[in-house]
Amino acid sequence: MGHQFVLLISATIFCVGAAGFLIRKNPLIMFMSVELMLNSVNFLLIGFSSFQKSMDGQIFALMIMTVAAAEVVVGLAIILTIFRTRHDMDVDHINTLKG
Amino acid sequence: MFELDLFELTKATVTMLVGLTAVLASLGVILCSSPIYCALYLIGHMICLALLFLLYNAEFVAAVQIIVYAGAVMILFLFIIALLGGKKEIQEPSTERSLAIVFVVTMLGELFLSATVGPTRPVEGAFDAQTVAEVGGSAKAIGLELFSRHVVAFELASALLLVAAVGIICLSKFSYVPLRRRMK
Repeated sequence: MGHQFVLLISATIFCVGAAGFLIRKNPLIMFMSVELMLNSVNFLLIGFSSFQKSMDGQIFALMIMTVAAAEVVVGLAIILTIFRTRHDMDVDHINTLKG
Repeated sequence: MFELDLFELTKATVTMLVGLTAVLASLGVILCSSPIYCALYLIGHMICLALLFLLYNAEFVAAVQIIVYAGAVMILFLFIIALLGGKKEIQEPSTERSLAIVFVVTMLGELFLSATVGPTRPVEGAFDAQTVAEVGGSAKAIGLELFSRHVVAFELASALLLVAAVGIICLSKFSYVPLRRRMK
């Protein structure tokens, strides 16, 4: 399969992730949508590293996985802390810092 | 010659099917109302992506995808869902939501338009499938590159993971206690 397939699948998954981040209210599902976006970019990097016969894309994908793991751990800890203090899972209700 | 064509055709069909499954699973992630089903769909999506990585000659990254994402990260998600209770979310239509949908559909159209252009200048690197096999597999090829040209990025990633570990220990140990509860 050629470049077009990788680009189309990756763009579709990225847009699905962006839509999920924008329309969902549960912070956990918003985090899952961020994971979808990161994964679509990983797929793009892997596909193009295969087309261009280079290892740089795969190393980039590994680095993205590292950053995503760190981000998920910190984000879930923040969600847990918020839930412990507020007992509420709706991001629209968390507006203490709103001006 | 005929068998090679048959192989290529099968590979293309499998790639197409796995890609479509990945897209459908990602739709399931954002459309299910219960977080636990979203997490299960996300696991399916990760596994489909790992299969796609395999089909594009990235065996090591596919294994890492299964271990790190479908294993560690999703277990973390499932633990948090089990801890917080997977309450169903009530979806009501609103103006912001329709605006978000319009924005995302526009972005999708633009991305599809840019995808039809294709690469302007194909680059030929040193690692085709033959070379990777001669080096001794994709894990070894990645290791050779990672520890020679990208060693600074590797060290920075280890520092990032250390900072994240210290950060969550601080977050969970010295967590914020509301003032009125502290007064008691």
